[in-house]
Amino acid sequence: MIDPIFLAEAAINGLLLGGVLALLALGLNLIFGVIDIVWIAYVDLVMLAMYAVYFLVMVYGWPIWLAGLAAIGVGALLGIGVHVLIISPILGSAPVNQLLATGGLLFFLQSFATFLWTTDHRSVRLALPVLEVAGIFVSFARLIAFVIAILAMIGLYLFLTRTYIGTAIRAVAQDREAMALMGADPRRVYLVTSAVGGAMAGLAAALLSIQYSVHPYFGAAFGPITFMICVLGGLGNMVGAFVASFIMSEIISIGGVTWSTEMGYVIAFALFIVMMFVRPGGILTKRE
Amino acid sequence: MKSLRVLLALVLVGAVAVTAAPRPAADAQSQTIKIGLLYDHSGPFSAAGSLNCWRGAKMIIDYVNERGGVMGKYKIVQVDGDSQSKTEAAINEAERLLNVEKVDILAGIYSSAHAVPLAEKVDRQKKFLWITTAIADAVVKDRNLQFTFRPQPNGSLFGEASVQYVAHYAKDRLRKAAKDIRAAIIYEDGPYGTGVAASNEAEARKQGMQVVLKEGFSAQAPDLSSLVTKLRASRPDVIFHTGYNPDIALFLRQAKEQGLRTRIYVGHGAGHSQLAKLKEAFGNEVEGFHTTDPPASQLIDPKRLKPGVWDLTQEMVKRYKAFEPTIPVGQIAPHVSMGFNNMWILLNDVLPRAIQQHGGFGPEALAKAARETDIPEGGTMQGYGVKFQPAGHPMAGQNMRAIAAVFQVVDGEFKHVYPPVVASLSNPPVLLPASSPFAFR
Repeated sequence: MIDPIFLAEAAINGLLLGGVLALLALGLNLIFGVIDIVWIAYVDLVMLAMYAVYFLVMVYGWPIWLAGLAAIGVGALLGIGVHVLIISPILGSAPVNQLLATGGLLFFLQSFATFLWTTDHRSVRLALPVLEVAGIFVSFARLIAFVIAILAMIGLYLFLTRTYIGTAIRAVAQDREAMALMGADPRRVYLVTSAVGGAMAGLAAALLSIQYSVHPYFGAAFGPITFMICVLGGLGNMVGAFVASFIMSEIISIGGVTWSTEMGYVIAFALFIVMMFVRPGGILTKRE
Repeated sequence: MKSLRVLLALVLVGAVAVTAAPRPAADAQSQTIKIGLLYDHSGPFSAAGSLNCWRGAKMIIDYVNERGGVMGKYKIVQVDGDSQSKTEAAINEAERLLNVEKVDILAGIYSSAHAVPLAEKVDRQKKFLWITTAIADAVVKDRNLQFTFRPQPNGSLFGEASVQYVAHYAKDRLRKAAKDIRAAIIYEDGPYGTGVAASNEAEARKQGMQVVLKEGFSAQAPDLSSLVTKLRASRPDVIFHTGYNPDIALFLRQAKEQGLRTRIYVGHGAGHSQLAKLKEAFGNEVEGFHTTDPPASQLIDPKRLKPGVWDLTQEMVKRYKAFEPTIPVGQIAPHVSMGFNNMWILLNDVLPRAIQQHGGFGPEALAKAARETDIPEGGTMQGYGVKFQPAGHPMAGQNMRAIAAVFQVVDGEFKHVYPPVVASLSNPPVLLPASSPFAFR
């Protein structure tokens, strides 16, 4: 029987992991909800922005907060670049072609990063304190990342609900044809959405850089789970993705401590498969 | 929008054109032996040792070619394949090298997850496979492979050596009898990790240690915090860890953040042996860490080697500078030796005998020559001898004279600390230093 202290620690770690996963999932889901294309290579944009953080901090000596802000800018530019170069020309194509195009981008980005920076693992080294409260250890890096991720998500919510362009983004997500008929320019909305989604990838990169080494295949660890969370929450459903992030992270964490690390992932993935049968449209949709 | 797209595309193409460098084509000659080198040039295994193995293999091929080739007249044509750290890519690349490039010998293979399916496939085609790196017993065990040979020590030796080392120093350093030692075994869940962990566990039980936790994980897992929590709960004196990368770096980061403390930390090869890279990520916090791998040639006492062998080690160290000019000799990964030394055994011992005594370098001739290999201890750069288990033996094709060594990071550099036959430090610290963030206080 596992000590309740360790179980509580696992629950807190799950919560903190969930914050970062939610940030990744919301960026991807925002883009899907508006543009209706899944960016399979989304986490690879995060990887590129992580390299930016690494070089700015470790090579050019920037403070981490400034490098993080720069990463948000890099992410936004990457989002615009991907939209203009890859997504825009295939907006009217069959979904399978769109998937293949963004999948191709994934391999391109991984190979390009290998070519430029080799396969070495690079770490941003920061002296962070170890937090211990009543025998429970909490990762300081994760705590910071969690708080910033939650603030960013609140910021995104306010942006989408309180600004003109945010309202337009939501309107396009609900009915893109009607928006065009009403005289709005969906291309501008798509571009802004891609920039915001990219900026969230940049922010995620800044927060992940203090927890993980970056290497060209970073996307292999987070890409599949981010995509699964989006599907579990309902593609395009922001609240669903947010809730699904915490469900998955808690199962991984508590399942890992209660049974085994592998079993935590097995249960999370099994739940995903079951939910695809029970709620194929996402956990928050009503069964038809 | 269109002009912006064209501009962005031009910038991207320009960036590729500026940074891309032309690569020289292989120069085939009349008397040549074509060797396919299959390692991971991309994907996570590359930085976890595969690239260093390839560098070692390439360096010895270049060295032999500069002296006229095998026996002074058979030049080696090196054809590279990239396994991409994926099993299916490794199989496809092996197929290309063997049946499109028509290589005479397929050599290399870093990951056991690749070697297990590959060895059987290649052997079924009656093609010659020379494994320089992958260690899992399952690669050759109970398969009676006829054309597959592995000079490298097998995984069981790794798991046994590391536990025997801890048992050897238990009383003196831990002030405990072996039966009181709390051992935790964690491992990536592929053939490499499971194989080494199984021998860790078997040897720990043989030594009477308490195995307080044994748990596997995926090398691609995005989070290992639950594993760290369980390790803390099990209060181990020693952690035996078999992983690749990036899982090792992730584990260490999370272990530090979550206050995991232990007294002895023993890794087994792969990312644990890339000391220069570990130091980039963790600085001096890796002081006192161990890895278990075949001996690193440059750490062997030259007096233990046959005449002339040490000169080759110096050649290896000199040539490695071209790849990594800033890495000190004491931090060069043993993977460089695995590629260099194990290919040297093929080029210097097996191939000449195949040509001179068995009529060429076809698979049959090479297999016969390999079975006759009989190099005594001290006869190779890594110190061990070479004699392959014969056909019909449960481990047919495995070098029965290979050994695994335990290394410890002392004053920032690797030292061989076990077994005594290769130990360059007879009285190692064993325990993590008190200054280590991972050390039990």
